[in-house]
Formats: sequence, structure tokens, C-alpha cells
Amino acid sequence: MTDEPRASSTRRFAFSAAHRYWVDEWPRGENERFFGRLTVPHGHNYTLDVTVRGPIDPQTGMVIDLAELKRIVGETVVDRFDHADLNADALFRGRVPTTENIAIAVWDLLVPKLGADRLWQVRVWEDPTLFVDYRGPDA
Amino acid sequence: MLELTRIYHFSAGHRLANAALSPEANAALYGPCHRPHGHNYYLEVTVAGRPDRLTGMAADLGQLDRAVSERVLDHVDHHTLESVPALAGVVTTGEGLAHAFWRLLAPALPSGTLRRVTVVETAKNRFEYRGEES
Repeated sequence: MTDEPRASSTRRFAFSAAHRYWVDEWPRGENERFFGRLTVPHGHNYTLDVTVRGPIDPQTGMVIDLAELKRIVGETVVDRFDHADLNADALFRGRVPTTENIAIAVWDLLVPKLGADRLWQVRVWEDPTLFVDYRGPDA
Repeated sequence: MLELTRIYHFSAGHRLANAALSPEANAALYGPCHRPHGHNYYLEVTVAGRPDRLTGMAADLGQLDRAVSERVLDHVDHHTLESVPALAGVVTTGEGLAHAFWRLLAPALPSGTLRRVTVVETAKNRFEYRGEES
């Protein structure tokens, strides 16, 4: 335990990716009835806000070096998803790449790098009118 | 659990006034806000859920959009808030609207899923209501 004051830092990222909503177990008609136009491959300019929470390091005055956060998220998430077809990513095999599942996938990618004690929230914006917040399986 | 937030927009006229007070008392209490004016509002509605195993969806966005349109937006967009029957008796402050919109929306959504209603009155004013227990 530490007595340092705790705070959170959020850094914003962006990636553009293609996806479509499709459940493999369903026939075409059922997919089209349920998802409508979302069955057609299309894309979004996603915005990703990654929030890290923890003690403010008395030496650096930082919760996390944002350059480190930028490197980790860049290498782990942005490089993987930017200009990619999400349906073709192994993370979405058998999982529809909805905004919800993208948020969970980003969390699962980042937890091993940042630690569950530091990663506080992943916010995925599909567009400026819709975002999903995920704070891990226990939240 | 995940939280899914959808952002809506409406423009409306309003004035802050308490019907129990005299015009002079209202003018003194609310100042410039007592004069009829309007805002480009943003309404952020947050629902909680777990993604369905098959569809990956934690909420029915179509149902949410319909509920917000039918219960709120259709009544307030390009209207004067004081003349909206669903807002009768509400002093149309940002927090008053957030609370009123919660009461209008909660019954139209799956039980217990509504998590937060945020009214953004201007770029500088933001009001949140999270239900009775919060």
C-alpha cells in the first residue's frame, strides 16, 4: 500500500476499422432481420480513451508516463486495429465486433501490459454519438 | 457490466421560473435565466448491460433511440420547455431536466438498465442524474 494520492490519467487514441455484424450460427435471413444494414461491411473512425488510475509518483508527479501509455496502446491496440477488418481478427472469431466487444477486447489486450491494478477504464467511441465504457469483468 | 452511452441533441426555448413566486421574485432569483431564451442541448443517456453471447450487444440501441425520441426528443425539440405537458411543474434547470428525463425514460427501458442521464445545456454546463440511490 502507498499513501500517495491517487489520480487518473486518460489518453485519447484513434483508429479506423471495418466491421460488420454477423452471427455465424445464424442463416443469412436471420442475420439480416436482426442486424439490418449492420450486416453490410462498413467502417468507423473509432476514438479510444484509455484511463489509468494509481498513485501519483512523488518523484515524477505522474500516475503513468503518458509516453509509455502511448507506446503501449499504440503497439498493442492501434497498430492492430487501425485500417484493419475487425471481423478477420482472431479476437473476434465467434464474437461480433460490436462497440461493446471492442471495448472488452481492448481491455483484455491492455491488462497484461498495464496491470489490472492500473488500468481503470476503456472507453470506445464508435462515432461522436455512441460510446461504451468497460472497467473489467469485476466492475 | 458495460455502460453504453448514446448522445442526442435537441434545441429548445425555456426560462427559469418558479410558479409559486412573483415575477419580481423570479427575476431576482434567476436573473438573466428568467428571460425567455434557448439552448442547443445535448442529452446523454447511459444504460448498463452485459453483451449478449451471440449478438455482442449489451443494449437494444433501436429500442433506446425509440424511447428517447418518443419520450423526450419529440416533445422538447424546437419547443418551449415550459409548455411541454410532460414537464409540467418542472423548473427547467439542467438538473431539473435530467431528473425529469430520467423519470420519463426509466419506465420505457428494460428494468434497472438506466444508469445515468446527462443534460449538457451549454459547453460550460453539464448536469447528471443517476437515480435515487446514487
